[in-house]
Amino acid sequence: MRTIFTLLLFSIGFQSFAQEVDADAVLQQVVQKLNSVKDYSVEANIKANIPLIKIMPVTASIYFKQKDKFKVVSKGIAILPKQGFTDVNAFLMKKGSYMAVSGGVKTIDDIKTNLISVIPTGETSEIILAKLWIDTKRDVIIRSQVTTRSSGTVLVDYSYGTEVQYGLPNQLVFTIDVKKFKMPKSVAADLNKTDKQKQKTADKDQKGTITIKLTNYKVNKGISDNVFKEK
Amino acid sequence: MLLKNTYNEFVKILAKPRSYLGIGALTLLISVILFAMKADGKSFISFVTSSFEQTLSFNGNILNGNLIAFIILQMLIVHIPLLVSLVTGDLISGEAAMGTIRMLATKPISRTQIVLSKFIAGAVYTLILTIWLGFLALVVGKWLFGSGDLIVLNSDGLVILKEQDILWRYGCSFAVAYLALLTISTLSICLSAFAENSIGPIVTTMSIIILFTIIGSLDVSVFDSIKPFLFTTHMASWRSFFEDPVPWSTIWNSVLILLAHNVILISIALYKFNKKDITS
Repeated sequence: MRTIFTLLLFSIGFQSFAQEVDADAVLQQVVQKLNSVKDYSVEANIKANIPLIKIMPVTASIYFKQKDKFKVVSKGIAILPKQGFTDVNAFLMKKGSYMAVSGGVKTIDDIKTNLISVIPTGETSEIILAKLWIDTKRDVIIRSQVTTRSSGTVLVDYSYGTEVQYGLPNQLVFTIDVKKFKMPKSVAADLNKTDKQKQKTADKDQKGTITIKLTNYKVNKGISDNVFKEK
Repeated sequence: MLLKNTYNEFVKILAKPRSYLGIGALTLLISVILFAMKADGKSFISFVTSSFEQTLSFNGNILNGNLIAFIILQMLIVHIPLLVSLVTGDLISGEAAMGTIRMLATKPISRTQIVLSKFIAGAVYTLILTIWLGFLALVVGKWLFGSGDLIVLNSDGLVILKEQDILWRYGCSFAVAYLALLTISTLSICLSAFAENSIGPIVTTMSIIILFTIIGSLDVSVFDSIKPFLFTTHMASWRSFFEDPVPWSTIWNSVLILLAHNVILISIALYKFNKKDITS
């Protein structure tokens, strides 16, 4: 009986050891891939489905250059999430400013991922907690959930295509919280709408999504600093 | 004869300095708004988008000519009735005050035609004022700020319209705004038929507008049954063209109510002027 019990304990211990993941190593594989991108430009189709905002899909050009230069150029008005686009990558590249903890395995859209929770070591970091679901086969982030001090929590789902070797996605789906919205009557001046009508739509915090399809990547072709200057 | 008399009435409007006061005031008001927006428009936009800026960033030329024109229209649609009634409120009562109404009645033209020619002349003046407003707001606004997508500021959210989807909306909204201002013109001419001095119809017109606007903006159920029939409720209908989708039935309802006001007010003025004792 004692032998069986010892074998059972050993078996459980061995299994958990086998599942143990070196979170830092997994993360560094991803960072290494991201670091291979010195700059890129890409065409983006931005489709925002945000409560209280009606907007048609917009096309824009996105430019990025190491280490944190980022610009969106669009002819029309484009709405992007404030957080979650480049800040996670920038945060991960600051090695030593965070600690990584493994959170187990989860399958997302038939892809086996490792959940890595990234916690900043500094007290002043904008990011409070980043949960990353990483596909360890391709060393890319499949999903991220980033909680920041100023913007709340943003969930991002990543899909990859031709630029997977650089860790660059071909689609990003942001899920964000939209706070309740109230415009002063003096500014809006839609006097005919009664307060009762407005309350139906304006009083609840709601979730919105922004889907960005990225095509025509130009990676490491060199981008002038002038592109990032404010006009 | 109606056309000839309308021409004469329009010449009389042009001869009055107060007619230019309206156009001058409009030019000054819009210039001030354009200057303010050029100087500090970004903080105005930031104030508008601040509710979303915690989670979202707005990219592109937000402060463009289309938005400026929208802001100007929104700000001035409340004040332009004063400029309209300043001129049109004087058209019949001014003749009575100056004693020229009897001379006018000696012309080989019916009293109905006299009143109609004044209505038409007033309508032309209102049209000129509306076109001038459109020119300054849209053409000068686009010249100064460039073109771009339009962010429509509603009290319960934002609607962002594509640049190529805006011009027809402005065309239609100026047409409806003109109809609303025409109602003001008709009201003041109608009141003018009852008065013997110039200031009375102008002040009464403004008082009616203020009263109706207050009733319209009060969320009190006792006024719910009359609100849909007040012309001031439909004065902001030009705004509906910037909703997505456009609420056509609401707009047509507003157009019909404004037209009905015009017909009723013209009829009252015709009846009153035809019965008016101009001999004493």
